[in-house]
Amino acid sequence: MTPQFILEGVVVGLAVGSIYALIAVGFTVLYKSTKILNLAHGELVLFGGYLAIAVTSAAGFLPVPAAFALGVAVTLLAAAALGFAVERAVMRPLFGQPLLSVIIVTLALGYVIRGVMVGIWSGETRTFPPVIPAAVVRVAGVPVSLVGVWSAAAAALLLVLFSLFFRYTRWGIAMRAAANEQLTASTLGVSLKRVFAYAWAFAAVAGAVGGILLGLWLGVNFALAAVGLKALAAVILGGLDSIPGAILGGLLVGVTETVLGGYIDAHVKLWGQPLHGFKEVTAYLVILLALMVRPYGLFGTEHIERL
Amino acid sequence: MAYARPCGDFKTSYAQDMALLDIRLYRAGFWVLLAALALAPWILGRWIYLLNDIAIFAIGATGLSLVMGFAGQISLGHAAFMAVGAYTSWFVTSQLRLPFGVALPVSALVAFAVGAVVGLPSLRIKGLYLAIATLAFQFLVEYLIVQTVSGMGGTPVPPMDLFGVPVNTEVRFWYLAAAVWVLGAVFATNLTRTRVGLALMAVRDRDYAAQVLGVNLLYYKTLAFALGAAYAGVAGSLFAHYNRVIGAEHFSLAQSIDFVAMLVIGGLGSVWGPHLGAAFVRILTQLLKMWAPVLGALLPVLGRATTSVHDIVFGVVLIAFLIWEPGGLATLLRKLKRYVDLWPFPH
Repeated sequence: MTPQFILEGVVVGLAVGSIYALIAVGFTVLYKSTKILNLAHGELVLFGGYLAIAVTSAAGFLPVPAAFALGVAVTLLAAAALGFAVERAVMRPLFGQPLLSVIIVTLALGYVIRGVMVGIWSGETRTFPPVIPAAVVRVAGVPVSLVGVWSAAAAALLLVLFSLFFRYTRWGIAMRAAANEQLTASTLGVSLKRVFAYAWAFAAVAGAVGGILLGLWLGVNFALAAVGLKALAAVILGGLDSIPGAILGGLLVGVTETVLGGYIDAHVKLWGQPLHGFKEVTAYLVILLALMVRPYGLFGTEHIERL
Repeated sequence: MAYARPCGDFKTSYAQDMALLDIRLYRAGFWVLLAALALAPWILGRWIYLLNDIAIFAIGATGLSLVMGFAGQISLGHAAFMAVGAYTSWFVTSQLRLPFGVALPVSALVAFAVGAVVGLPSLRIKGLYLAIATLAFQFLVEYLIVQTVSGMGGTPVPPMDLFGVPVNTEVRFWYLAAAVWVLGAVFATNLTRTRVGLALMAVRDRDYAAQVLGVNLLYYKTLAFALGAAYAGVAGSLFAHYNRVIGAEHFSLAQSIDFVAMLVIGGLGSVWGPHLGAAFVRILTQLLKMWAPVLGALLPVLGRATTSVHDIVFGVVLIAFLIWEPGGLATLLRKLKRYVDLWPFPH
C-alpha cells in the first residue's frame, strides 16, 4: 500500500463519503425526531436519481443547464410531497406501535416504491445528459473527476445549510425539541404531527439530493438502493441519533471502502482467486467490528436501562 | 361433550390441564389435519408442488418465529442461515458423498453452531443496531457464496435418497417434507411452553427485568438464534435437494425480508403464525407469478408495471396487515373462532 495509493483513496473516499454523509443525515434526522429507522431510504435515493434524470431528459428542448435545474427543482418538490404522503398515509396510523412493526412497514414501503419505479423506468442504468464536463481535476495532486468534486462540494454545502436550518429556523428548533423529548415538546406547543411530517419530507429530500449527486457521478441503476443501505451503515457507525456522527460515519465508510476495500480488491488473493467486489462488503465488516466495541455507535446516546 | 369451550369444562388432572389439544374438538381437528396432509397428493393432484414449497418455507419461518416472535430479537439475515444449511447439505452429499439422511441432521447442526456465533453479539447489541448487525451477516454470506462456491450462477445439488429410497417425485418429497414440518412444528409449539420458551418470552418482554429475575441472557439469546438457525438449516437442506440448484439469489436479502413478512402476516409470537404466514406468502407469490403475464395481456396500459407487480402487491399487503391487523392471520383466525363460538349472539 503505497502512500500515493492511500492519498488517492482518501481523496476519492472523502468525495463519495460526503454523499453518504448527506444521505445519512436524512436517516438521522428522521430517527431523532420520530424514532423510526427508515429502511426505505435506499428507495428514496433511487427515486431522486430516476426522477431527476427523467425530468431532465424530458426537458430536452431547453439548454442542458436549465433542463437540469428544472429536473432538480421538480425532484425536490416531488420528494418532499412523497415524504408528506408517506407520513400521512402509512406512518401516522402506526404511531405508538412497537418498533418491529414500524421497521417492517418501512421495508414494505421500500418494496412498493421500488416496484412502482421498476414498473415505470425498468431496470437499466440511466445517466444524466452531460451537465458537468467529463474533465479531470487534481486535488492535492490526485486526479479526481470534476463531477466528483462538484458532488462533494454540493454535499458539503447542503450539510452546512441543514445545520443552519436546525440551529436557527423555527421548524428546525421545533424538530430538535421533539427529538430531545417528545412529550415535553408537545406540552410546550410543538405539533408532533407536523414535526413528523416535516421530518419525513426532510429525509426524502436529503435522500433525493444524494440520489441526484450519485446519479451525476455514477449513473442511476437499482444497485443504488444498496448505497442507501451503506448510508445506514454510516449512520450506525456514527451512532443513530447523532448528526455529527452521521457525517463522520459517512466519510469514514467512504474512505474505508475506497482505501481498504480497493486495496483488498486489487491485491489480496484468496486461494489464488482475486476477491472481486470486496469493496461492497467492507462497510458492513467495519460496522460489525465497530458495534462489538461500541454497541451504540461512535457518538450515539447510550441507552441506560432502568427497571 | 365439550365441542367448543363451554363454561363447565372441568379438568381433573394435571395432564389434562397441560394437554396441547385440551378438548375433543381440537383432538379431532388435529387428526383431520394430519389425515388431510397425508391425503394431500390425492386432493391437490399436480398442485402438490405448492404445498412442498410452503412446507420448506414454513419450517424456516418457524425458526424465525422463535428468534423474533418469542425471543424478540430482530433478525434480517434468516435466509443466510438457510444458505448455511443448503451449502452444508450440498457439501456433505456431493463432496463427501454421504447420503441425504446424514446431510439433513448435519446441516441442522452446522446452522445451529453458526446461529450461536451470530447470536453472540445480541447480548451487547440491541434493537436497531442488532438488526443492522444481522443485515451485515446476510451481506457477508451472500458475498461468500458468490466468491467461493457458486459464483454468479448456481451449484448443482445431487438428487436425494432416504435410506436407499430415491426421493425423486413431488409426492415422495411431500411425505418427507410433511414429516419434518409436523415434527418441527410440534417441537416448536412444545418448546414455547417449557422453561426455555418462558425464558425467551421474558427476554422478549423486557430483557433487563428477565436478567434480574435470574434468566441467563447470554444463554437464552444465543439459544434462540441457534435454534432459529437450525430450523433454517433444515429448510435450506430440503430446499437444496428439492430445487437441485442453489445460488446466491435463492438466499438473498429479499428472501430474508420475505421470512419477516411471513411472520408479520401470520402473526408474531403465535404458534400458528409462521405456518399461516408461509402459506399466505408462498401462495401469493405463486399466484402473482402466474397472473402477472395475464394481467399484462389484459391491460396493456400497465405495460412494464406487471413485471414488478409482485413487489408492489407484497408491500401493500404487508402495510395493510400492519395497519389494520397487527396480530396477523392468527389473530384474524381467533376472532373468527370467537364469532362462530358465540353465534348468533354478539357477545
